[in-house]
Amino acid sequence: MLEFKENPNKKGREDNRGVKPASHLVGLRDVVKTYHSSAGIFTALKGVDLQVESGAFVSIIGKSGSGKSTLINIITGIDRPTSGEVVIDGTAVHDLNEEEIAVWRGRSVGVIFQFFQLLPTLTAVENILLAMDYGGYYPRTERPDQAMHLLELVGMADHAHHLPSALSGGQQQCVAIARALANNPVLLTADEPTGNLDSKSTEMVFRLFENLANSGKAILMVTHDNELAERAQRTIRIVDGRIQDEFVNR
Amino acid sequence: MFRARWYKVFNDLFGNKTRTLLIVLSMSVGLFALGIILSARTILSEGLAESFAAITPSSGTVRTIELFDEDFIQSIRSMKDVQEADARRNISARVQTASGEWKNITIFVVADYDDIRVNKVASQSGPWPPPEREVLIERAALSVIEAQVGDVVLVKFPNDVERKIRIAGTAYDPAQLPAQIDGTPYGYITFDTLNWFGESYGFNELHVLATHPEDKAWAQQVVNRVKDKAEKSGYTIPLSMTAEPGQLPMNDVLQGILLLMGMLGILSLFLSIFLVVNTVSALLTQQQRQIGVMKAVGGSTLQILGMYLVMVLAYGVLALLIAIPFGVVGARGLSNALAGFFNFDIYSMDLPPQTFLIQIAIGLVLPVLASLVPFLSSLRISAAEAMSSYSIGRGRFGKNWIDQLLSGANIWFMRNLSIRSILLSVRNTFRNKGRLTLTLITLTLGSATFISVFNVRDSLSHTVDDMIKWFNCDIMLTFDRTYLADKVEFSALTVPGVTQTDVWIQLPTRLIRSDDSESGMIYMFAPTVHPESLIVSPTIAEGRWLMPDDDNAVVVPSAFLQDEPELHLGGDIVLKLDGKEHTFKIVGTYVGMAILPLVYTNYEYITQITNRIGEADALMVKMERHDPAYVDAATRALEDHFEQIGVRVSMVSTINNERTEAEASFDAIVALLLVMAILLALVGGLGLMGTMSINVLERTREIGVLRAIGAPNRGVASVFILEGIVIGLMSWAMGAVLAIPISQGLNQALGQAVMGVPLSYSYSIQGLWTWLVVVILLSVLASFIPARNASRLTVREVLAYE
Repeated sequence: MLEFKENPNKKGREDNRGVKPASHLVGLRDVVKTYHSSAGIFTALKGVDLQVESGAFVSIIGKSGSGKSTLINIITGIDRPTSGEVVIDGTAVHDLNEEEIAVWRGRSVGVIFQFFQLLPTLTAVENILLAMDYGGYYPRTERPDQAMHLLELVGMADHAHHLPSALSGGQQQCVAIARALANNPVLLTADEPTGNLDSKSTEMVFRLFENLANSGKAILMVTHDNELAERAQRTIRIVDGRIQDEFVNR
Repeated sequence: MFRARWYKVFNDLFGNKTRTLLIVLSMSVGLFALGIILSARTILSEGLAESFAAITPSSGTVRTIELFDEDFIQSIRSMKDVQEADARRNISARVQTASGEWKNITIFVVADYDDIRVNKVASQSGPWPPPEREVLIERAALSVIEAQVGDVVLVKFPNDVERKIRIAGTAYDPAQLPAQIDGTPYGYITFDTLNWFGESYGFNELHVLATHPEDKAWAQQVVNRVKDKAEKSGYTIPLSMTAEPGQLPMNDVLQGILLLMGMLGILSLFLSIFLVVNTVSALLTQQQRQIGVMKAVGGSTLQILGMYLVMVLAYGVLALLIAIPFGVVGARGLSNALAGFFNFDIYSMDLPPQTFLIQIAIGLVLPVLASLVPFLSSLRISAAEAMSSYSIGRGRFGKNWIDQLLSGANIWFMRNLSIRSILLSVRNTFRNKGRLTLTLITLTLGSATFISVFNVRDSLSHTVDDMIKWFNCDIMLTFDRTYLADKVEFSALTVPGVTQTDVWIQLPTRLIRSDDSESGMIYMFAPTVHPESLIVSPTIAEGRWLMPDDDNAVVVPSAFLQDEPELHLGGDIVLKLDGKEHTFKIVGTYVGMAILPLVYTNYEYITQITNRIGEADALMVKMERHDPAYVDAATRALEDHFEQIGVRVSMVSTINNERTEAEASFDAIVALLLVMAILLALVGGLGLMGTMSINVLERTREIGVLRAIGAPNRGVASVFILEGIVIGLMSWAMGAVLAIPISQGLNQALGQAVMGVPLSYSYSIQGLWTWLVVVILLSVLASFIPARNASRLTVREVLAYE
């Protein structure tokens, strides 16, 4: 079971702008996302409703172009809905502007990418510290210890001062997960987090997700691997921009 | 049929207009700087010479004490080797300025203003010739006498006749030293007006044009023959001068400027080369992925190379379309400004084709060569590798000692500081070391040149100080003839505020060469040399200054030894004084120009050999206070006092004015240096902006990651702005060091051209700090626009970016 130190000041999420009473950690209501391009109009999400509770480990599956990445981008504020409401931990994300979303995201959501996306000129621990500097969840003096603690959690403490180029793909993804946890977010999102990893690293990353979910973090993971998806508590299948099925795996 | 790949080239060029504009601007600024310097240099070196030739400059001037008439002019014109001759009356008068100050003025009297055959003077404004009882003032001299056309000024002739005379207009006389530089204004009147001043008819200055004016030795022989003829006709010749063929009155300064422009031209050539190479290689690095895609779909190396060469050539053509016309306009503006300083109109602004050819070669050939390096390196990468760059991290970091030095292991002491974004900026700086090197070379050259320009300016000022400081007095008075030294000294000491006086004697002399030929006029100054003397040693280039017990010792200007190769330090020099030859020994050379050579020798010795014991014709005065207002008031009091006791003062100068005039002669050089410094700073700044923009484009995905982990706009922008500042600071530090040899080279070359010795070296701390501020501002500005654009990108846009 993973343990996270709480910030005694809790200053990270004190901004009340757009805050709504939270019945669910993640609440999407009738979310539509339409793209306009020279090729025409394409609707990626067609009125999606979704609720996710704290501590849930949810996998999202679907074919290429089905809208699963769009859905996760809408939840993290990386993309904006054309219509509908997105409320995360009481914050109406759809009401925030780009700058506010960036700040909110840094404090509330941990984003994990398929290609790790560690900054190549910062060491493992510095990558985490940079996110802590932006989020400001932990007091300045506590950040180095917290960052090392997170690296210990993901088994990368020995590589704290290595540059990403000196780490394997699996190790980089572990550091990326630690970075996603830098500001003790309530929600972690991962878009194909194991898509670029071998089976051993995939297993390592997946176990980390399970432990994080057990410790109370909500995890939303996009994957095309049905086998992995079934290991999550709940699986959502998206077809043509709509949630077609939902399974509770265990 | 237009093949598809050319559509890609077209779309790359015009699809991303911002990038194209940036690349074209970066390249064109370098080419513009090069064009402006090369073109202005050509215009000045050729245009000024042509304009000068248009006034039919004389080969030499012979001045007489006694007046001569038209018959004598005709006899000179009929001499075998004289192509043309003309004469004027030259009168050293005084003029009262609006502020009440009396200034020296040279009045020329010309018999027929519509038939000036040598050293032609032209009408600039007002009536021509000057009306009776009115004067025309040389156009550069109005500001010196603080007057306008139409004003009435009080002029006093050497015969003490004072007349109020109206300034009827202006004349253009490029054969004279510009008044704003030597401080002497020139006026032009008719013989009727001269008569009104109580002076009789007659000429005292002969301008001679030899049959082969381009041959200086021949011209000198002809001038000497004219002088001999004049002497045989009973005239006393106090001055005869042979001019350097085709050379402007301030040729040394002009040569200094041209030399400086040549050196700056070479520097800007390098700057422009680096800028072009940098921009093109950054562009191709960015296109690496697309090259991979084209290879994957079957594009041959030649086909792909051809596309990029055409693209790069198109950038070059666009850059040249901007750089060439702007360069021509800039060069003409700069040339006109400098010609104005020399009091010249440039008739021809024609530019030779080689100026444009150099620009075209650099604008077209260099980008092609520059594109080959990154292109060939991109060929080494397989198509799969080139296309698999979904992850961030282009540019390698962590591989060499610089990266290790900046890595976490070595800056452990910073781990507890919240400076990750600074670390990110510093380390990002070193990611693409090739581009960093090119950017640094460009900016460092710009930095070094900017600081060097300030150093040269300081060195010029320092050199003027060195030249002036050996006059330990405030006022120098020259009398119309010799007076008893004791009388003038004691009288001066009765004027309030005068603390010390010293006398000297000044005599015209000529160098007698081993082949019995004579040099032009040389002034011999013989100051009193004793421990409390008001004249202390000038800056000695070689040898020593005069000593009290010296007899026939002389100190000559360093540039004089270059002009007279027979002479050397420690050697003898034969000088003709009052018609008799005397042998002196050169004991030292001082830092000085050779325009009007002054040689120094001991007062006691000279008064003995010329039978002038106890006499003096010049007085140096030291005042209890040295501020200009006080000294000017004291000067007027001294003049009044001497007038009352019957001592006629023919010329007055104060050290303050001498300093201002000496500095003014370097104004054009300093102004030119500043223009160049600004231009080079601009080139460096745009180079940095280009680099930063390419960096932003390359790291677009990284910006997305920063946004994804919570970086606000400010946070994203600061990463790039800090990176720009780091590069700027590095270039500043390296430029500060590189400025030492560059400014030494400039000092050496400029000093040698203008004064025959290097300028007194001075490193400008002001320049160093000014450039620090400028480079930080430039860095912030250069990276601000790319950084702002970066911070405006949405996360989805950048994560989708390829």
